[in-house]
Amino acid sequence: MRGPDLARLAWRNLWRQKRRTILTLVSITFGGFLAFIMTAMNDKSFADFIDDAAQLGTGHVTIQNPEYQDRPTLSRSVQNTGAKRHLALQDPFVTRAVDRASGAAMLTTARDAFGAYFIAYDPELESPETLQFAQDMVAGEPFQTADDKGILLGRILADNLGAGLGDKIVFTLTDRSGEIVTGMERVKGILSTGAASTDAAIAMLPINTLRDVVGYQPDESSQIAIFLNDGRRAGRVASTLRPEVGGDAVLTWDEVQPEIKAFVAMKVGGARVMEIVIGVLVAAGIFSTVFMSVLERTREFGIMLAIGYSPGQLFRLVMWETGFLAMTGLLCATAFTAGPYWYLHTHGADTSAAYEGMASSMDIGGVAFDPVLRFDIYPENALIIAASIVLATMLAGIYPAWRAGRVDPVESINVI
Amino acid sequence: MTASTTPILSMKGVTRVYRQGKVDVHALRGVDLDIHKGDFAAIWGPSGSGKSTVLNQMGALDQPTAGTVLLEGTDLGSLSRKALSAMRRDRIGFVFQSYNLIPVLTAYENAESIMALQGVPVAERRDRVMGLLEDVGLEGLEDRRPHELSGGQQQRVAIARALASNPAVILADEPTANLDSVTSEKLLDMMARLNNERGATFVFSTHDPRVMKYARRVIGLVDGRVDSDVQKEQGVEHKHQSRV
Repeated sequence: MRGPDLARLAWRNLWRQKRRTILTLVSITFGGFLAFIMTAMNDKSFADFIDDAAQLGTGHVTIQNPEYQDRPTLSRSVQNTGAKRHLALQDPFVTRAVDRASGAAMLTTARDAFGAYFIAYDPELESPETLQFAQDMVAGEPFQTADDKGILLGRILADNLGAGLGDKIVFTLTDRSGEIVTGMERVKGILSTGAASTDAAIAMLPINTLRDVVGYQPDESSQIAIFLNDGRRAGRVASTLRPEVGGDAVLTWDEVQPEIKAFVAMKVGGARVMEIVIGVLVAAGIFSTVFMSVLERTREFGIMLAIGYSPGQLFRLVMWETGFLAMTGLLCATAFTAGPYWYLHTHGADTSAAYEGMASSMDIGGVAFDPVLRFDIYPENALIIAASIVLATMLAGIYPAWRAGRVDPVESINVI
Repeated sequence: MTASTTPILSMKGVTRVYRQGKVDVHALRGVDLDIHKGDFAAIWGPSGSGKSTVLNQMGALDQPTAGTVLLEGTDLGSLSRKALSAMRRDRIGFVFQSYNLIPVLTAYENAESIMALQGVPVAERRDRVMGLLEDVGLEGLEDRRPHELSGGQQQRVAIARALASNPAVILADEPTANLDSVTSEKLLDMMARLNNERGATFVFSTHDPRVMKYARRVIGLVDGRVDSDVQKEQGVEHKHQSRV
């Protein structure tokens, strides 16, 4: 029998036991829904987390002195930053390239002294996508230009220092030659990143203020932070840039912040395990359905073999049935998922009530988790889920299909 | 229709032994039997005499323990599974006791299915199937599925399906067993007519005396041996001694 005729027979067979077929479709639909929603949540939250880590750190890709990673001091700087930023911006995946200088400093007020992690930046080069929390002020104003005066403090750090807007802050750090230097600025703003550990340590300066204090040239910084439209392309962009930047090191975000990479890898791995468990459960349900339907039709298959169907044709018939089940299940899963996905993609799911009183624990490596879960699936992951549903269903059908072709006509027809 | 002298189907010394637990069951004990083109033969005998086993051997559904089965000169025991499927598809028609139509196909599609397997063009299929359904008295019922047909009508579809491939022989296992007497008579009338008009060769296994009344050749089986073989038209009875 040619393909279309087997397909017609298979489609009708699928609906002989409507209730069982519908139950199987429900299980495929629910499994697909869970896999899709879980993946969308993970994709979005990890992408945001990585972007946040890139903001707090030094971009998705960082150009820095080759020795900076091992000993991050301001003496290990990058020269000609303007040319290198221009070079990076030639890559179509690069959205921003900015000068940054960061490191440890001691902040002192009239009342107290605390260690801090400072980031010096050029407000005119940055954007909300590269340094959102520099805009998240709870008091005061953000910087507008690299020549502005003042210092921004994290909310908890300001409390610890007993500093308010306009108060003097003396910051002490080592300059490009390793000497201890000090500067003094007034508090221009107090910001909140949402991550308690960051708010207790962060201090921000206009980059030219820092350049003056540590003796940097106008096109010199400790790092160039490069931001991409998709953080997953960091490796590719870094590979392209590496031969172009002379002796500087070009590192991806996960090389600069391995603890973030380990955390994301652990969470992604956990999500994959859950998806595999869902897939196996769905496949087991499909297997039992298809196998049961084959066993129930043993006599029918015997008759079909007797009248001239070949074992291969019966195998293909059951595989057609399984294929229709998979495709129909996929359509149902897509239809069922579309509405909730659209809502969650648009509005998110606010979980802040569940974390009430636990705000200080909602950051990893100083990067805050947004309590509003966002959903946005990478297209390739959506395709992988769709392909996995079809593949798992088809795999579940192979053994029953093989059994269909191995039926003994004499025994099954029971004419002996 | 008068049977020709050259057998289209020949069983030579066919023995079939089944193993049931630790016991060997001798279903056939050296059966020699020739079926000629145009035969309208009934195989009868008590339960367990081997009637269905003979049909299984003739229909390439089962392999003999010893002996050979030749269909149009081809030793069925020498064929692969695939070749046996093709042989059943192209040269053998089956009619089963419980009709055994494919339930999701209409009467038309059931009759057509074998031709589709054979790769017959759609237009030719349509002409042949419509002709067959008319021959078996089912015109107007082509689009009905098996559950929408009576037992007799389903058996007619099964006969149309068996004839569709222009087989060398049609093997019918107790074809009237599930039918009432009136329907059985009509069905046997129809098969006798198809035998006469189309030259179709029929071999039945049966308990039904009506079938034996219609049959022109009656083969008696006892304990897995051919006990008698009567050509009724010629009035000549050939007694066969089965081989042990």
